[in-house]
Amino acid sequence: MTDRRTGHVILGINALVLGYLPAAWQSPLLGKDSFVDPAYWETIGRTAERGTLDVVFLADAPVLGDPAHDANPIRLEPTVTWGHVAAATQRIGLVATASTTFNDPFELAERLLSWDHLSGGRAGWNIVTTRGADAARNFGLPDVPLRDDRYDRAAEFVDVVRALWDSAATGADIRHHGDLFQLEGRLRVPPSRQGRPVLLQAGGSPKGRELAGRVAEGVFAAELTKDKAIEHYRLVKRLARGNGRSPDDVKILPGLLLSLGSTEEEARRRNDELHDAGPAAYSVQWLSQSIGYDASKLELDEPFPEEVLAAPADPQTFQGSMGFRESIVAQIRRTNPTVREYLRQTRSTGSGHAGFVGTPEQLADHIEDWFHSGAIDGFNLQPDVLADGLAVIADELVPILRRRGLYRHEYQTDTLRGHFRAAAATPDSA
Amino acid sequence: MPAPYLALGLTGPHLVELTSSAALLARWDALPAAFTVLGVERVDGSPPAARTLDSSAVGAALAGQTTRGRFLIVASPQRDHPYNLARRVASLGHLSRGRSGLLVGVRDAYAAPDRATAARARDAARAVRALEQSWPHESIIGDRETGILVRSNEIVHVDIGGEFPIAGPLTVPEPPTGASVIAWSGSADAPDAVDLVIGEGGAVAVAVLGERPPRGTAGVLLRAEAEHSVDDVLTAAERLLAGDFRPLAAGPLRAALGLAAPPPRANGRAAFPVPQPHPSL
Repeated sequence: MTDRRTGHVILGINALVLGYLPAAWQSPLLGKDSFVDPAYWETIGRTAERGTLDVVFLADAPVLGDPAHDANPIRLEPTVTWGHVAAATQRIGLVATASTTFNDPFELAERLLSWDHLSGGRAGWNIVTTRGADAARNFGLPDVPLRDDRYDRAAEFVDVVRALWDSAATGADIRHHGDLFQLEGRLRVPPSRQGRPVLLQAGGSPKGRELAGRVAEGVFAAELTKDKAIEHYRLVKRLARGNGRSPDDVKILPGLLLSLGSTEEEARRRNDELHDAGPAAYSVQWLSQSIGYDASKLELDEPFPEEVLAAPADPQTFQGSMGFRESIVAQIRRTNPTVREYLRQTRSTGSGHAGFVGTPEQLADHIEDWFHSGAIDGFNLQPDVLADGLAVIADELVPILRRRGLYRHEYQTDTLRGHFRAAAATPDSA
Repeated sequence: MPAPYLALGLTGPHLVELTSSAALLARWDALPAAFTVLGVERVDGSPPAARTLDSSAVGAALAGQTTRGRFLIVASPQRDHPYNLARRVASLGHLSRGRSGLLVGVRDAYAAPDRATAARARDAARAVRALEQSWPHESIIGDRETGILVRSNEIVHVDIGGEFPIAGPLTVPEPPTGASVIAWSGSADAPDAVDLVIGEGGAVAVAVLGERPPRGTAGVLLRAEAEHSVDDVLTAAERLLAGDFRPLAAGPLRAALGLAAPPPRANGRAAFPVPQPHPSL
């Protein structure tokens, strides 16, 4: 801990519907269809606000995965879900994920700015490009475009959206004639209290990071180790500087999978029980998607073969996230586990996103360590089961962070951009 | 013939005004009207007003801030893809507890120019209906014994062609109140998926606020003009509902309008295998 930083961390919640573990729906606190119950979503917003948290995220893709054993693939549309929650809350920021591959820039710009206006300036857009042929087939395409082409579209899409948001303030039509979009017109939506929605980016490919450095005000990162996290933190801050921006204009928020308990043992038991109550295929499938190799073909009691760890055959067609793959491979190379060991280990250490199993006190230590090491501006916390996990964050973790001077006692800002700007500055080391 | 029900047609500036006032929202919510169209000028051939808000964003705010007011969001497939639209329609069906529906139009007055044909609007309406029906609500069982949350083999692909080829299924189950009400602006070219036609020979006639409402239809939509404030509209509606119009009790939109549930879709291709109880690692 070289560089003691002053100021506050940013705390976000990645809602992942009922929680990140497939067995979350079995919580006695939930009904069988809580994932579509408006009262469930309102409670999430209110609980997060009780903890004066900065922001809640909702991941998204326009495609349904098999919900047989898991509510995670079930997806209400994020802008209307958070629009509804905004109406039930006052201060919490809300980030909706939306695809640049399967939306229209005019329609999305109008919808996001409208929601931002209606929420009193609390809206953010997590820019993603969407992977997978199944999603493409909902839009009349046999498959998604290649990764670089998706990011080229994302870059121009975001430029059009930002120009349209400007047009809402100036009242002047835009005339955009680019490589991919030809569009003339303007938005007639009133600007929001924060002017326009906050932009966030998720994904660790070079073009994704380029987009983040140019326009994103927050990056939803995937980090397993502190060293890699510091490296990526500095990289994105450097990219922002290279674009003439202040490094403080882009906040780095890695995801962190959580199982919390009042003792470490209780937390481990909770995590194990939740894993045992969910489908075993969950871990194997997740690993397969993440590394671009069918993990069910691997010998469970052998270490990972080198060809599996080497780069995917073709980064353009690999369906997974490059950021996740990189962090998983780094983790496997460090300890050289057998496949079974790795799958069991990742129960408590995370897969792609880092995992944490322990007490709120230990979690506060972890947050403090990564914060002072210059690895993060905050975390996007992903509880195993939101129904009780979020309450522990709001009522137990947050008071510990407050006592350590790492978190505010009450809201001092009332827009999402305001929350981000009120957080700690980038350390000199970055 | 029973007295007609009353619906309201608000335009962009009214949506901005209504959603910025808790007092107006409370009055709107208390009104025993059939429904309110959120941005009627978006698809009825009018020019765009000076200000507006996206209709589904307004619907989400109303779903969260009110408990009985019913509404139709307004959309055209000019720039909106029916898969994305269907997700918002179905999500609002859940979040509003069945108080919401959709008015489909051919052209969106606010959107930057793009392809807009009656064929595209018809296919969009059909796609929204098919997608909402692709995942039956009864398939959600939450059985802790077997670890099965959803009998996902009952979820089907929609496999539709036409203007918008879509494989499906939708990302959301059908709302417990059933597939959302779909309305169409004017009787010309209305597709079979439509429950309700507004204007031009439809079940709901359009009357400009201040004019004498027509007789002989199931409902009348009172259309606000630019010079009217939301207070003007609500005051007129309160007066009409205390007089010749039939107040409708709180509840889901389809039931309030007395509309039959749409027929179920013919069996499609199962989207997922029959779920099995699972062993652990």
